[in-house]
Amino acid sequence: MARKKRVRLIAEMAKKIRAYRELKNRPRDSQKYALDYETMRRPYTGKMLPGLAWKDVSRESNLFSLLASMKMFGMGRIFTRKSWLEDHMEPSYWKITKVKVDYIAENMDHGRAWGILTYKGKQESEPREMDKVMYHDWRLIPKHLEPQFKDFQPPPPPPVRFVPYPPLLRAMLLAKHKKAGHGDMAEEPALPLTREILLMKEDLESQDQEGTVV
Amino acid sequence: MAASVFKRCVTAAVKVKRLLPSLSARRWLLSAAYTDTKLWEVRGKDPQNLAVLANDMERTYSKSLPVSSLAVSRFVDNISSREGVNQAEYYLYRFRHSPNCWYLRDWTIHSWIRQCLKYGARDKAMHTIKNKVQYGIFPDNFTINILIDSYLMDGDLKSACSLVEEVMLQEAFDLPTTQILSLYSLGSYLATRPQLTVPEERALGASLLICGLTQDNSIGLSAQLLGNALLGKVEMLKGIHAVFKGMPLDWRHGYLGRALAVMETVAAAPDDVKLTKDTLDYMNDLLQELSSALDSDSSGEESAGEEQEKKEDTMDEDDQAEQANLSQYASRFKKMSSQLESQGKVDTTSFHTLVTTLAQQNLASAEEQDLEQYKSKVQDWEAERKQLIQREMEMREKAKQEREERLASKAAAQQA
Repeated sequence: MARKKRVRLIAEMAKKIRAYRELKNRPRDSQKYALDYETMRRPYTGKMLPGLAWKDVSRESNLFSLLASMKMFGMGRIFTRKSWLEDHMEPSYWKITKVKVDYIAENMDHGRAWGILTYKGKQESEPREMDKVMYHDWRLIPKHLEPQFKDFQPPPPPPVRFVPYPPLLRAMLLAKHKKAGHGDMAEEPALPLTREILLMKEDLESQDQEGTVV
Repeated sequence: MAASVFKRCVTAAVKVKRLLPSLSARRWLLSAAYTDTKLWEVRGKDPQNLAVLANDMERTYSKSLPVSSLAVSRFVDNISSREGVNQAEYYLYRFRHSPNCWYLRDWTIHSWIRQCLKYGARDKAMHTIKNKVQYGIFPDNFTINILIDSYLMDGDLKSACSLVEEVMLQEAFDLPTTQILSLYSLGSYLATRPQLTVPEERALGASLLICGLTQDNSIGLSAQLLGNALLGKVEMLKGIHAVFKGMPLDWRHGYLGRALAVMETVAAAPDDVKLTKDTLDYMNDLLQELSSALDSDSSGEESAGEEQEKKEDTMDEDDQAEQANLSQYASRFKKMSSQLESQGKVDTTSFHTLVTTLAQQNLASAEEQDLEQYKSKVQDWEAERKQLIQREMEMREKAKQEREERLASKAAAQQA
């Protein structure tokens, strides 16, 4: 340890000032996500969008382009994404609860939105912020098609299959049964191929206490 | 083909006029009580100077503080001339592009439309409704009914239909009066057999479909059939994305298939629902036009290489597969129409006559309901406005008190 580290006060101050200025001059959503549709470039960063997205960006719309032309910015309406329509058979949609529009945008087509997600038929309980709002992927579900889109019967779970136990374990089970005084087992013991995993501490502790039989 | 269609419609129109002379004379639908402005003008006045209000708003905007919805509503209420209408339009635009854009009140929108109609600025009202993204004007059903009726009174069917399109985009066909008025304007517009461009066909088809879904009778089903047929034509020519982009429509292919499904439901329905003959004829002409257009496209492919590239931009492989189904649709349509005729489910009265009779029968009772609701709504709006005024006064007093306290404490600090 030859020399004490130099205390660079001015550099510290400059760092804080730079961080503060960056916070103050954050770009608004409308500036950050503005897009030139001819060259597929974002004017703010100058970067181009990935090539596989060009077709979708030119054909589809982002969420706020749909919301801007709706009363109360589409509160209570449901929206789905084209990628979900292609990937999943079960209905997945967002129901909008809160909207904060970026009023600087000329066509009011940027902002933040919050809503309740129903993903693959399972509805969540709490509203949260919607992500990928600026993706050109969104579709409005018309009111007359809402019941048809939402109603979804999950397919019944496939029947549980049974297989015979391995020989040692089978012998242990038969011995336990005889020891308990029930005599011979009527049916062949079968192992179900689905396991219900108990994650409660008390059950784990009770399993430790029993120990093995035979 | 267009000429023969036009001749057919002219003879039909002449027949209608001979049978029902009273209908052609009267052009408006809503009763005088509905469009009366007395109820609106009776509410409490809040006289303000427009120039003072404008100054205040400009100062608030320059300080980048939010302007309250009360200020904008006061401005719109106190319009006294045509220039006031233009200025109010500007301030509505500014308000929409401010942080408070969500809080534009219903009564402000209603008042704006009423003022536009009063000062003869109906085209301004139409312009703001068409550009609702920029102005934030989303009128409720009562207001839109009044506006549609004023256009129907002047016989301006095209503007009435564009207003119906706006109602369709908001999917706001809730009140029976709106439904009846929209069906009437759509029916009358179709009866004039206009030459439609592809975007107009798409708008008309979508309005017919969504409005027809609200009615369960033969009018509704004919409207749905016609709507699906028009949208199917746009789908065949431009692809499915051109159909549903920006409109509350289904994104699945096969609009013509859905039109044929409507015919099948009518054929299978036990009660006495019919489809009008002129809608079936229209669909027949449409299918023939489509098949000839697509045949001529495929034959002219070798010569027009550029046009094919442009078409491939809008159309997908799925769309081209859909085009291959056209001949199937045409044959199914012929089978279904002959089946409907044999079952006696084809109505010879025109769509326009059916809609006019519906209007005559049901409009009066529907209007009464609307008027009741409107009266209660006006009272609610008044209460809300008074609450806002009171809140503003309280806030001003509080701000004044705080300022005085601060001044007093500063003076005391200086003296000490």
